[in-house]
Amino acid sequence: MEKKDCYLDAAASAVSKAGQLGAQLAEAYISSAKELTIEVRDGQVETMKLAEDRGMGLRVFREGRTGFSFSTDLSPGGVEDATRQALANCGKTAQDPYHHLPPPGPAYPELDIYDPAIRAVTVEKKIEMAKYMEETARACDSRVKIIESSSYQDGEVTVSVVNSHGMKLSYRGAYCGIYLALVAGEGDDSHTGFALDFSLKYNQLKPDLVGQKAARRAVQMLGAAPVATRKAAVVLDPYVATGFLGLIGPALTGEAVQKGRSLFAGKVGTRVASDKVTVIDDGAMPGGIASAPFDGEGVPTSRTVLIEGGVLKGYLYNTYTAAKDGVQSTGNGIRSTFKGTPEVGVTNLFIEAGPISSEDIIKDTKNGLYVTEVMGMHTANPISGDFSVGVAGLLIENGELTRPVRGMAMGGNVVDFLAHVDAAGNDLQFFGGKGAPTIRVAEMTIGGR
Amino acid sequence: MVEKSVLKEVLDLATARGGEFADIFIEEKRSTGIGCEAGKIERVHSGVDIGAGIRVISGESTAYAHTNDLSRAGLLEVARIVSHAATGEKKEISLDFKKIKPLVDFQFKDKPGDVSTGRKVELVETADKVARAVNGEKIKQVMVGYGDVVQNVTIANTEGDYVEDERIRTRLMVNAVAASGPLIQTGYEAVGSFCGFELFETYSPDSVAEAAARRAVAMLGAKPAPAGKMPVVMASEAGGTMVHEACGHGLEADLVQKNLSVYAGKKGQVVAAPEITVFDDATIDSRYGSYRFDDEGAPARRVNLIENGVLTDFMYDRLTATKDGRQSNGHGRRESYQHKPIPRMGNTCIAPGKTDPAKIIRETKNGLLVKKMGGGQVNTTTGDFVFEVAEGYLIRDGEIGPMVRGATLTGNGPEVLRVVESVGSDLGFTIGTCGKDGQGIPVSDAQPTMSIKELIVGGTAQGTTSGSIRRI
Repeated sequence: MEKKDCYLDAAASAVSKAGQLGAQLAEAYISSAKELTIEVRDGQVETMKLAEDRGMGLRVFREGRTGFSFSTDLSPGGVEDATRQALANCGKTAQDPYHHLPPPGPAYPELDIYDPAIRAVTVEKKIEMAKYMEETARACDSRVKIIESSSYQDGEVTVSVVNSHGMKLSYRGAYCGIYLALVAGEGDDSHTGFALDFSLKYNQLKPDLVGQKAARRAVQMLGAAPVATRKAAVVLDPYVATGFLGLIGPALTGEAVQKGRSLFAGKVGTRVASDKVTVIDDGAMPGGIASAPFDGEGVPTSRTVLIEGGVLKGYLYNTYTAAKDGVQSTGNGIRSTFKGTPEVGVTNLFIEAGPISSEDIIKDTKNGLYVTEVMGMHTANPISGDFSVGVAGLLIENGELTRPVRGMAMGGNVVDFLAHVDAAGNDLQFFGGKGAPTIRVAEMTIGGR
Repeated sequence: MVEKSVLKEVLDLATARGGEFADIFIEEKRSTGIGCEAGKIERVHSGVDIGAGIRVISGESTAYAHTNDLSRAGLLEVARIVSHAATGEKKEISLDFKKIKPLVDFQFKDKPGDVSTGRKVELVETADKVARAVNGEKIKQVMVGYGDVVQNVTIANTEGDYVEDERIRTRLMVNAVAASGPLIQTGYEAVGSFCGFELFETYSPDSVAEAAARRAVAMLGAKPAPAGKMPVVMASEAGGTMVHEACGHGLEADLVQKNLSVYAGKKGQVVAAPEITVFDDATIDSRYGSYRFDDEGAPARRVNLIENGVLTDFMYDRLTATKDGRQSNGHGRRESYQHKPIPRMGNTCIAPGKTDPAKIIRETKNGLLVKKMGGGQVNTTTGDFVFEVAEGYLIRDGEIGPMVRGATLTGNGPEVLRVVESVGSDLGFTIGTCGKDGQGIPVSDAQPTMSIKELIVGGTAQGTTSGSIRRI
């Protein structure tokens, strides 16, 4: 019997057990993942890690209440314990008329998300790729002094969802990726640089480009120093722009809106950003690292335009929040692990590319900071939108990148930030599931010396 | 959980093709999580996660694999996988297990399994009500989260070390959202310890809820923080985010050995003001980062990292200790059986000094008083760090002035520790989850009240003076 079928059987037996023990609705989600990580340093394999992780999350519903439990024990005894625990937890939660489970979808997107080459390629070849990436970076510039880690990673996962509405689904996906972190040094000065590339296709990985990019990021920052506090235009490179996108992601979920912790609550149809900003979430995007035929509760994934030309179009939903707003789930019931319930989350979330090149954006900036690094983004407040981060990058003077700058601070509110975006580049780039092009914000206060 | 004879077989097979060292980490983790939002118990989750990780070290390379299958066959299969990555000759290994004793013991009183889910739910409901009652008009949302974890581990290695240990951690966090007109602000407060439900004998859920709600409401009236360089006083109750970021990470031996720390090669040198002593001590009673053994079975102990300004030691796990030809000092930790151990902090503290904390504030002419810190981040290579100020006030002529919001402090670890001007006689702890290499582990950190000559404050108002300061 194929593994996939054995997980579907285990999930189905949990659902029927839950029914026997008194659940009115039940859902079992099983994920089984395998991951390989290779870390190379100075031409030697520093770490090789093989991970296997599988388990089940079980949701049950009774009289408008819900309970959840998870277990790594998929034996009949383990499944029964988990079922009893979920039902016991169910008795303690509040009643809510919007709890329910989705029926099987009418159709699911057909996606090419399993590249057999990822498994077929030998471990030796993968080690070679990490070594080659390290060599490329060193060859790129003699000031590349330390390789922190040159890694290759891949994984495959089988996801199965069974529920008491007759849903019985499963898919298999795989991904691969490379990551390089290094330090460039000159005299007493040193600076870090990194680059990464994640893909659904093994032969699309570009270790040479990643090596060059990481080296360039570190070397260009050598000699960086703080400059005086100033007001200036801020040009965010795609990585940094993606970081800011990550900050507004949670506010675009139906859950945040319903719970009064979204900046975007009550603003559908109104302007929430400059006309240069279009934000899309697409769980069925071809080649997207977060693409899958269905979400964590078996709802088909889809493309949702959230902000179009600066106007808020809608929010992301899972089954529960959609029921509450009387709309359809957008297929955004995300489970990052079998240990959690499907919460509203993003899939492939990105700011759409604009018409101009990043070079032209810089050329067009008289007085600015090209930000390549942000520190403390995780301390930003997604509820109020306030952020205050440390930034580093290159100074822009009369359309040219002149010198590296570090140790600066930039604060503000993401709402103002979005309103003042006055350019989006044509260089949309993804970093895992999220992506953005180069963007420019008209004027910010940057604190420094 | 697994017979000792099976553990021996597993370690023997893991090193069958070479490798100097192998270990196995078996874990059974039972957890409960309760979430309340919008006044409703939304989430009661519980679960069990069982697995084992096996590691072989040969030279400087580590092979690691893990599984959820604890049967003899399952473990031997994983041992076989890691053995393939090892190189060199098969070494004779001692497999006469001896049980290691800890240097300290912790007693758990009310273990999570002995406390009913109903009582835990009740506590969460109380915290929610108390927070809302702080200001019925302005508090718009309250999120309360309760979590407990019981982790039973068995650790065995090819040196013959054998450890069985039970770790229990309990925590409560309250996040309040206050709004007034278009302005939304939040207040957060959390408590957690290496203990069971008796946590709430030390910290009442009411006081946690009140603190979070009061902060959220007060923030509505706060002015945007000024930007620029200025003197900063950190109150002890602000906790130790700065010591964690400004020097803690840079003193982890793996970063030091890779030359990724500004403290690399500085042992024996002056790296801070003479008033500064920094230590990490996981044996402190029932703090969130306390433990009897680290995740390689090494007993926890106090490690002095900086003594009177001089760098004295780093935090080591077994692998980094071996590289430096010494013993681990009990800092090899991991998130779970799914991760290999790496050098990590436990309870990181700046030792209290002699100055009266009130005097430190009085003697600061103008500056920023930090009463509560948020999260932080560090670039260990340069020592540049940043952390957010969750509750801050301006100091004007030695007096605490108006509250400010949106401030972030940036500085450079070694530079900041050199310009510490006075160190208070008090000590305050905060708890957190520390992330490194994709692994999150529970830690706490502590600092006395301290004044720092200057730090860069990144706020939203430009300039170092604000036009209208109102005394309160």
